[in-house]
Amino acid sequence: MSVRRALARLLAIAGDRRRLDRELESEIRAHLELAEASALARGLSQEDARREAGRKFGGIEQMKEVHRDRRGVRWIETLVRDFRYGLASLLRAPGFTAIIVAVLALGIGGAVAMFSVVDAVLLRPLPFSEPGRIVRVWEAPRPGAVNATTVPQFLAWKRLASDFQALAAEQSVSAALNDPAGPIRLAGKEVTAAYFQVFDARAQIGRTFTSTEDQPGAAPAVVLSNAAWQTYFGSDPGILERRVILDGAPYQVIGVLRAGTFDRDRAQFWKPLVFTSAQLASDTHWLTVYGRLRPEATLAQARERLQAIYAATLETAPLEERKAAMAIAPIARLLVGANLERSIQVAFGAVFVVLLIACANVANLLFAQGAARRTELAVRAALGAGRGRLVSQLLTESLALCVLGGAAGVACAYLLIHLAAPLLAQSLPFTADVTLSPRVLGFAAALILAVVLLAGMFPAIDASFGNLADSLKRSDRGSSGRHIRVRRAVVIGEVALSLVLVSGALLLLRSLLNLQQLATGVRIDNVITMSADLPANVYRSPREAALFYRAAAARIRSTPGVENVGISTYLPLEWIGNGEAILLGGIDKLVRVRFKRVDPGYFHTLDIPVLAGRGITDHDREGSPRIIVINQALAARLADAAGMKEPVGKKVRLSSTDYLGQTPAILDVEIAGIIRSERTAAPGDPDPAVVYVPLAQSPSRHISLLVRTRQESAAILPAVRNAVRQIDPDLPLADIASMRQVHDRTLSGASRPAWLIGAFAFLAVLLAAIGLYGVASYSATQQRRELGIRIALGARREDVLAHVLRGALAMTAIGLGFGLLGVLALTRVMRNLLFEVSPLDPLALAFACVGMVLIGLLAGFLPANRASRIDPIVTLRDAG
Amino acid sequence: MSKQQEEVPYGTLDLLILKTLETMGTLHGYAIARRIEQVSGDSLQLSQGSVYPALIRLHQEGWISTDWGISETNRKVKFYSLTKAGRKQLLIEVANWEKSTALVARFLEPST
Repeated sequence: MSVRRALARLLAIAGDRRRLDRELESEIRAHLELAEASALARGLSQEDARREAGRKFGGIEQMKEVHRDRRGVRWIETLVRDFRYGLASLLRAPGFTAIIVAVLALGIGGAVAMFSVVDAVLLRPLPFSEPGRIVRVWEAPRPGAVNATTVPQFLAWKRLASDFQALAAEQSVSAALNDPAGPIRLAGKEVTAAYFQVFDARAQIGRTFTSTEDQPGAAPAVVLSNAAWQTYFGSDPGILERRVILDGAPYQVIGVLRAGTFDRDRAQFWKPLVFTSAQLASDTHWLTVYGRLRPEATLAQARERLQAIYAATLETAPLEERKAAMAIAPIARLLVGANLERSIQVAFGAVFVVLLIACANVANLLFAQGAARRTELAVRAALGAGRGRLVSQLLTESLALCVLGGAAGVACAYLLIHLAAPLLAQSLPFTADVTLSPRVLGFAAALILAVVLLAGMFPAIDASFGNLADSLKRSDRGSSGRHIRVRRAVVIGEVALSLVLVSGALLLLRSLLNLQQLATGVRIDNVITMSADLPANVYRSPREAALFYRAAAARIRSTPGVENVGISTYLPLEWIGNGEAILLGGIDKLVRVRFKRVDPGYFHTLDIPVLAGRGITDHDREGSPRIIVINQALAARLADAAGMKEPVGKKVRLSSTDYLGQTPAILDVEIAGIIRSERTAAPGDPDPAVVYVPLAQSPSRHISLLVRTRQESAAILPAVRNAVRQIDPDLPLADIASMRQVHDRTLSGASRPAWLIGAFAFLAVLLAAIGLYGVASYSATQQRRELGIRIALGARREDVLAHVLRGALAMTAIGLGFGLLGVLALTRVMRNLLFEVSPLDPLALAFACVGMVLIGLLAGFLPANRASRIDPIVTLRDAG
Repeated sequence: MSKQQEEVPYGTLDLLILKTLETMGTLHGYAIARRIEQVSGDSLQLSQGSVYPALIRLHQEGWISTDWGISETNRKVKFYSLTKAGRKQLLIEVANWEKSTALVARFLEPST
């Protein structure tokens, strides 16, 4: 069909049907008038002229019908008819249809869901205006390290770096919001005034910060996120008239951000970061700095200038920091870590493999069906149907299937995304909005089309280009070699791909088991953790905070059901802030340490044994001699670096910060004991050197409570809350999690791909089993006559069974060979995801192979069993 | 097959219309129908209405083009004229027709 003709026809349907009817109507009327006029001219009467015109014209309605028919679109009608016919024939075999639709739904659903994630995280630009210009800036102590910065540095950059349109610093904070139902802890940020300019975030109500609002003396103001405004203030349109009480102090709400990106961030409010005079002089690295580059500025240029500014400030910088280099990176790169990107790629790869297997399976099933329908097609060809028609009909049928499967797949993806939403929110950057966007649906459509072509084309061509007359003659005899070869190849491919997925899943599972069995050094069961932030304006002095800890610990400990309670500044298993150091007498070398403040109950609650000396007791409080407890790792480091073999009882000097976290101080302390190292970092990293300081001697405003209960029960929570409320009714508890959850969270970076790929591997195995079963049973059917003869000639049941099984096993074995090659090829990708497992771990690979062989046996056994029960007489008579 | 096509030799209406337009230039539907009747010496049993479905098909094939104009009775009607593709098609149809009539003629010749 020429393009022009197709276009004209398409226009004919696209164009208004009624318009065409109207045009025809007027043409007919004109025609009749002309005919009448000519009849009148020949001298007929008005009446006769009209009658003659009508007679000569013929049946008007019939003609209109033909006219409509003609201008209609023939091929579309054919398509619709084929589609209907296809659906009808699909409905005749509901089992077959259901299997294919399910296979497609799982394959397409998984792929679309995964693509949504890829789209949200990697493809779509960040939801800020010109996100490429938003960068993070820091001084890297060594290449690749991301670091915070000091106030003087930030101010120097801000003053001198001309490449930035805006530069802002932030610090995460939290605050207690008074609510009728009890105090709520909100996560927030303290930011310098230009912060919202950097992200180009606008207010929906009111405004964001002006440049004077982060200066000393400015009235306390706060900007709310849209979500916080809705959740805590009932979307009050008069919010700007209200003052909110955060940590007991009133703040003027000056604006509410527009709904969107920042609602997925943890922060719910922003208040100006006003530097105190102590902070202005402090060398503590605590600020995270973001900037928006000027349109014409480049990263390299900006970095160079920052380096120059940094060099100019070097003279005043401590010796330790002189080797740092300025680093600047687009925010997109930092939001999506290399780990996340790799996980997503691997998961997407796995999904794609599943989809490929699903396609192969559908093609295989269609192939079998095509073979089964050879007779029907042959008859139709004999009756004059052209090959093109047959192919197009078969393709239309697979299109009908794929449309069903695709619709089910998109529904499946929708479901998956919604089920996984909480998990995704946890592990993806807040800028990622995972939805079935038009792009994702487009991808789905393209996929479905690709599946039609892949799965439909080959069987269709095969079914109609094979010698039809031949198949008419010998419809049910002997196996036709070419078919079965192609189908076998497809199944071998499926087995190979499945093996890759299964061994990948098993490797990840082993890695996960390794992680689970990883000695954490702390008690995991029956411990509930929560956090509290003591507001600085309520707990003004370290003594007030210390009093609170003692009272709270005592009150919670006396609660029925509670076995013990500990307080610390960081949770076990999680990251501990760094930046502190031990100075040894006589040596000017620093030993870098991490710093954790704990109360006397901490070691007992978590079953951390004291290896030498003593732990922390109630007597280590303000006024008594300052002591520290160190972990094994630090003891080893001290022995190494300073030859300090017996550290207990030795005096060292420790750098530290004061209660408000700003002024550095050097303390003289005595090492009182050594405890066994608790795991504080991601698996794979060595235990860091940790100093445990008595919380009472060095209080902190940010604490975690660890409550060990007699039974595993979250039922203790209200009692714990109540106990805390009796001491401070305005202090909210937040981040409630069992130690088990904390444990899983720390390890989840590694465990998530394992479960995901496990699920995909399960699917792949299922699909491969279906494929194997299909081919084995098809070839058994094809060989019925041969098998019948064998049985008639005295073959035993076992022989037939073995014969059919051998076929299935041969396919499995070849597939396994190719699969192992695939595993080999993917070694490099897997190595990064595994913890203490080789990507070619023999146990996992052997297990995967044995599993696949068992599945091959199972898939082959059913048809083999059926074949062995063939009654030779019936078979031979039927087929003859 | 539909009724009106039995009245003209099978498959020849297209040919007749194309030829008419080639000879006469731009015409409206009535004029086409009349012209065919006249040329056939009024011996053809043509339902004049049957030219319209044929015209729409020829139009869709791109062999004729349409234009709005005013009829002798002062009514807005479509005028049809042959396109370039239509001229080519006419040659093909004529050739086909000659081929098949020649073939039939050979069968009908009295064998000697």
